[in-house]
Amino acid sequence: MAEMERITSPQTGDSCIHVKHESGLEIYISEMPGFSSVEALFGTKYGSINTMFKQRDDEEYTVVPEGIAHFLEHKLFENEDCDVFALYAKTGANGNAFTSFDKTAYLFSCTKNYQASLKILLDFVQAPYFTQETVDKEQGIIGQEIQMTNDEPDWRVLFNMLGAMYHDHPVKIDIAGTKESIAKIDADLLYKCYYTFYNLNNMVLSVAGNVKAEEVLAICDECLKPCEDKGLETVFPDEPETVVKNEVYEQLPVGTPMFNLGYKCDDCYGTERLVKEVTGSIAISVLTDDASDFYKKLLTEETINDSLDGQVFCGDGYFSVIFEGESKKPKKLREELFAEIERIGREGIDEKVFERIRRSTYGSMIRMTNSVEAVAMSALNLAMQGVGPYDEIKILSELKSSDVVQFIRDSLIPDKSVLSVIDVPGGNAFESGVE
Amino acid sequence: MTYDRKELCEGVGLNAITDSKFKTSSISVRFILPISRETAAANALGFGILTYSNSSLDTMKKLNERLSSLYGGSLSGYSGKRGDFQLLTLNASWIDNRYAIDGEDITGGMLGVFLDCLFSPNASGGAFAEEYFNIVKKEQLSRIDNEMNEKRSYALKKAQQLACKGEPAEIPQFGTREDTEAVTAAQAYSAYRKVLETARTEIFYISPERDPEAERLIAERFRTISRSYKAADSYRTKSPVKDEFETLTETLDVLQCKMVRTWKTDSDDEIANIMLGRIFGGTPVSKLFLNVREKMSLCYYCAARFSWIKNILSVDSGVEKENIDKARDEIEHQLDEIRRGNISDGELEDAMLSIENDLTGIGDDPTSYVYWYLDRLLEGKIFAPEDRLKDYKNITKARIVQAANALRPDSEYIMLTPDSTENKEAD
Repeated sequence: MAEMERITSPQTGDSCIHVKHESGLEIYISEMPGFSSVEALFGTKYGSINTMFKQRDDEEYTVVPEGIAHFLEHKLFENEDCDVFALYAKTGANGNAFTSFDKTAYLFSCTKNYQASLKILLDFVQAPYFTQETVDKEQGIIGQEIQMTNDEPDWRVLFNMLGAMYHDHPVKIDIAGTKESIAKIDADLLYKCYYTFYNLNNMVLSVAGNVKAEEVLAICDECLKPCEDKGLETVFPDEPETVVKNEVYEQLPVGTPMFNLGYKCDDCYGTERLVKEVTGSIAISVLTDDASDFYKKLLTEETINDSLDGQVFCGDGYFSVIFEGESKKPKKLREELFAEIERIGREGIDEKVFERIRRSTYGSMIRMTNSVEAVAMSALNLAMQGVGPYDEIKILSELKSSDVVQFIRDSLIPDKSVLSVIDVPGGNAFESGVE
Repeated sequence: MTYDRKELCEGVGLNAITDSKFKTSSISVRFILPISRETAAANALGFGILTYSNSSLDTMKKLNERLSSLYGGSLSGYSGKRGDFQLLTLNASWIDNRYAIDGEDITGGMLGVFLDCLFSPNASGGAFAEEYFNIVKKEQLSRIDNEMNEKRSYALKKAQQLACKGEPAEIPQFGTREDTEAVTAAQAYSAYRKVLETARTEIFYISPERDPEAERLIAERFRTISRSYKAADSYRTKSPVKDEFETLTETLDVLQCKMVRTWKTDSDDEIANIMLGRIFGGTPVSKLFLNVREKMSLCYYCAARFSWIKNILSVDSGVEKENIDKARDEIEHQLDEIRRGNISDGELEDAMLSIENDLTGIGDDPTSYVYWYLDRLLEGKIFAPEDRLKDYKNITKARIVQAANALRPDSEYIMLTPDSTENKEAD
């Protein structure tokens, strides 16, 4: 059995087991006494943005159609004998999977028979079975999924913004691709992608809840097939620092105009990215603080309704800060936000405000550890980023207000912003409130 | 875990749930009263405003500063609906005192804020503070307008309104746009007072350790209200099946059509009705998923659910226009299969395991306790999830077939794409 390392958070006292399994897989196990459920995620660092790659022995880069990572996720659920859902049905587990920009994960949650469900998970993800017939059939289902997500205004406002922000980076393309791009996918391409990215050296297993580490590891020893590290290399097109355009507008059946105001920032990796992510999150909390005079002004002047929020959106080769919400006067909101950012860059952040927001963020992080699902997901996300499971709260505890001010000055640059608006049918939100 | 319920006064129950695994405490107060066109909008506004300020923290700035200094304690108020009843909720949750960096009493602080918001709102002369009332009213209007944003939930809501046409359950949880616009700050305040005095009230206090002092503080404040309460006969009202099947079709600028079909039943066999929903379309191995989606690729999603509070079975689907008729035929065909008794032992067993998984997971997050015990209180009988599991284990195939044969088609909502559905590009 591989050697177990216990990692403990000095801030919360939480701990988990980390194992670098001899098969190449990184394993994180969070035993959570008192909980009934188990959540397990088996993920690969392979998402919609990984469209160009090679292995150590390849001479040329392989370029694959957009949406193939998501397509592969769908197809892996069918093995040679039956559907994976049918196997989970026999243990009572809820099986699922998702593909994001930079990862694909297969998961289950259950309250009994977790060992049998874990075997199913590890087995089917390591046993691809694709035929041209089943690939052709899936194109119809995924085509419908693309249509459905395109009806979601939250999705459209984001992708319209990404399309205006990124010239070439594949993050601007819908995770599921397009009907045209998925038509180019065949069984051979799926196998090529599978054997490149579903190498255990490129994968993470995260299990949390009512489990025993020894039992999980014994199943891993039994089910994991050793993999040779083939030196995977993914590349992205050179992305200019500038945005494509500063504004994008569309009308859809929505009740109130909605917006994304994104800032394109320099990308980075590993711990540096996590520090920047935490700093960016605090910057967003300062700028959207509902106890601030700025927020009250926006609300009372009806520049926003009570929905101003934000997120740091980052991954390999991209990093942006996005403010989001609903506004009948989105250009006015942008003007006000530019001015507030400029003011904070000049005057700094009141230390009392900073400490209040830092504590509030700390409270949110503690709350996350109340949930089996959130604990398993967090360990997977952080491991895939190459950082430890409790690094986020440690970074927060060491953060200073001057770091946040510096981030705001360096990263929230008006020229590198994109305002994306989804307006009501026949609306005029783009011109409202403009002096 | 321990559960203990005390009746504080007529129609007001304090449910104390203690579970040592949690790192948070929470309080959720649920006010349940018959929904009516006259009061729904005012009630929703009267509870929506409570989280903006209170008499001691009389500005949004002061209240939000206090919450974030209490380690981001959360406070929310909203209006929901259960069958023919409006469900007004005020919630708060916070991290446990043992995580306070400087040893602050987070629980004491949060309880104080919560109870002041509920019992001592920012109001004078019998009306809520106008400034915040105007904000909350605009917020409620936005919520009503934005219901169409999420197309799947919008379709389900429209189908539910169609199925329950003429019943209180048809009334939207926030009332209508027109009713909301007409409510004044004084009317909302009067509605809020009336809810406090007359509604069935269930308080859920969930903490890692039993906290008698918190319970005392909560009880003390609730006992200051002079109550005039009349118990409802039942919180379940079967929706009567329509004389004629009714269809509502709406065209929106969307790319995927939606179809929601509903059936109603007189069957009181709740366990059989719920199992029927699972086998028919409640899991990824259900008849609808395996046939309508996987085998025939007719819908991206096609799922069934049974509402025990109204005795309605609904199937919602995301479907392309040219497949609507085929999908409907196959949905009916799969229901007929169940009616004819074509349920395998494996299907029954899979549905049972899926229900067992759900029931055993109750208690893994604080909110799941609230949903479980509130449903039991509305049913009129308190029991644990494992007791309900025994009922499921006694189910027979014959009971499920009988439940399927008791279903009567009621109505259908269809959201259509416009005739031309070519992809548009944003400017």
